[in-house]
Amino acid sequence: MTPAILTRLRRDATRGAMGLARCLLAAPVAALLAGCVQVSAPEKPIEINLNINIRQEVVVRLQQDVKNLIENNPGVF
Amino acid sequence: MNRRTKLILAAVIGVAAVVGGAGVAYAMQDASGQLRASGQAGEQADGYLGIVGSPSADLRAQVDAVNIKRRAYYTDLAAKRGAKIEEVAATTACELFRTKVGPGQYYRGTDGTWRQRDAGAPVPLPGYCG
Repeated sequence: MTPAILTRLRRDATRGAMGLARCLLAAPVAALLAGCVQVSAPEKPIEINLNINIRQEVVVRLQQDVKNLIENNPGVF
Repeated sequence: MNRRTKLILAAVIGVAAVVGGAGVAYAMQDASGQLRASGQAGEQADGYLGIVGSPSADLRAQVDAVNIKRRAYYTDLAAKRGAKIEEVAATTACELFRTKVGPGQYYRGTDGTWRQRDAGAPVPLPGYCG
């Protein structure tokens, strides 16, 4: 009787591992989907947060794009 | 009511509709400019409009509506240029501080304090603005 129980236990363990693998596979897909949805709108009113580091070379690189953005959307900016 | 009176009435209604429509279109077109001019909202260093005093529900809704659109534009441009959304937003704030905050209007720098722009002096810019 003991071997039968052992087999069943092992089979359960395998199923558990497969479930875990499936879950790990699903995570990047979910992240990808979340990334796609994010573009639409912010979730909350935005509070001031400038604790992040603004790199000056990036600011310089973006400047012309930003000027165009402001010019083309007078109601928003 | 004779025919002439009816005609005049129709004309008056027509003109009112056109003027009213234009007014609404104008308000929609320059929502952010009007909010800044009202003194109830100002530009923040994070690239979004903020409320200066205590917000009414209506004001909050107007500011949110503008910021949601801004956020969408920032997200779009950030993806196109391989930059962070915050970087695009901060760069925009530099430009808005430079060109859109008029004398007497409000801005909120990186220290988080609301200040009123002096007449005749530009808004002081954060150090990373080019």
